Amino acid sequence: MRAFRALLAKESAVLFASPVAYLVLTTVAILTSIVFFEHLRLYNHQLFLYASSNMGGFESGAIPDYINLRDTVFYPVMEQLGLLLLLPIPLVTMRVFARERDTGTEEMLLTSAIAPTSIVVAKYAITFSFVALMMVVSFIYPASAVVRGGLGLQHLFAVFLGLVLMGWGIASIGLACSALTRSQVIAAATTIAVAYLLYDFGWSYSFVSPDTAIWLDKASLHYHFARFSEGIVTLEDIAYFACLAWMTAAVVRTSLALRRISP
Amino acid sequence: MKPPAQSESRQAKASLDRGVQIEANGLCRRFGAFAALTNLDLSIEPGEVFGLLGANGAGKTTFIRLATGSLLPSEGTIRVNGLSPGRHPQAVQAQLGYVPETPRLYTELRVEGFLRFVAGLRGLSRSSAEEAVESALVRFRLEAVAKRPIGHLSKGYRQRVSLAQGFLHDPGLLIVDEPTSGLDPEQRREVRELLAGLAGQRTILLCTHDLAEARELSARCAVLHQGVRVALGPTSEVLGGEDPLSLFRGQPTELGSTSKGSPK
Repeated sequence: MRAFRALLAKESAVLFASPVAYLVLTTVAILTSIVFFEHLRLYNHQLFLYASSNMGGFESGAIPDYINLRDTVFYPVMEQLGLLLLLPIPLVTMRVFARERDTGTEEMLLTSAIAPTSIVVAKYAITFSFVALMMVVSFIYPASAVVRGGLGLQHLFAVFLGLVLMGWGIASIGLACSALTRSQVIAAATTIAVAYLLYDFGWSYSFVSPDTAIWLDKASLHYHFARFSEGIVTLEDIAYFACLAWMTAAVVRTSLALRRISP
Repeated sequence: MKPPAQSESRQAKASLDRGVQIEANGLCRRFGAFAALTNLDLSIEPGEVFGLLGANGAGKTTFIRLATGSLLPSEGTIRVNGLSPGRHPQAVQAQLGYVPETPRLYTELRVEGFLRFVAGLRGLSRSSAEEAVESALVRFRLEAVAKRPIGHLSKGYRQRVSLAQGFLHDPGLLIVDEPTSGLDPEQRREVRELLAGLAGQRTILLCTHDLAEARELSARCAVLHQGVRVALGPTSEVLGGEDPLSLFRGQPTELGSTSKGSPK
């Protein structure tokens, strides 16, 4: 347990010693605020148009139901945040294993009498914690809109959980890509490509049968994320993201074991 | 960590009774068509400083990686205190300290923090870790740079940090690969004195291509050339010929070609 605690402390020290962590947190905060305020501006603009038009303004009840904070600001912002995560998360995950392999510190870890599984678990734990922190930073503005827009706390929690799980899903893909190469650039590029393809399989529907398309849809990140943003939490969606993390961790663990055969 | 099988434990005890710390029999390691080590037989006793010599690419590092469990042999066996590093890597690694030729360090961490991390990784308790770190800082003259990030240190200091992490948990077996590489003459002398002081207390596997270092420190040595052992025996005899460097070129001397490598 001491060794595992030491690993956690090291992973966190190495992560926060790098400017990448701060750069990613700052970029996410800025991008989230830009996306949020842009949607808020559009919402205000629509309100202004209705209020000042000859339809009768606010009092006339002519403003359609769908123009509200939840549907005009919150949902689109959440949708875009899901996509937005595809860029910063690979920047965090790319170095986790690839850099260790490139600098040779991986050999030091693998000869220090600690089980490779502990190394994998520690790296996943710290990366997932960082992604959760990233979500907290990016969730501040949408949450304020929800409070104003009258969305319940339960719904808010569901959406936050969805964002965190989505972030962990992308991070899992990133960690697996990082373990399979010693180049951080290749790790980041592969993560973006794989996560983008897995995000939504709509691109493949013209090549496959309708039945396959339904299955592919169910395998996509977006399918499971979308239900969270509607406030629906199901075991199926949680299990999907848990399986994704487990499968990628198994890939990472296997790749570490295979290095003893072919380094 | 899987517990060693009962038969392996018996073998471990038997090995200790025979005084064998590292034993390789018919050890081969291939990378595709390339044979990095071929049919290596070697036996290193507890408390012995053993020199493993050879030019770059001779197979020294491959042997180290097989001994630490980082690589699996293609054929043959290697045992550390009777345990197979391939089957019980953690049990073997708990007994050894490894100082690689190129320091493998986290450049973002401060020296003290890095050594604390290694102590934690080795399972030392908080008080033992503090004691070990303090002692290592003094022993390797790192007090002045203890608070500095490793990335800001000179090559010599990095080498000292690497040595300190290898010694930190006081291992029974030390594997040092070119330990004085990058050090100035004074530091080289200090490291050699340190290793010489451990002779008899710890088993030291010294990989080097510095003949003077091998002569000064090791009682016995083996010379590898392209993965094949070309000499084995007391260092004074193996390196005592007129042209010991010819061994590095794969031309065995009479001793080198005939030596059976009897322990001291």
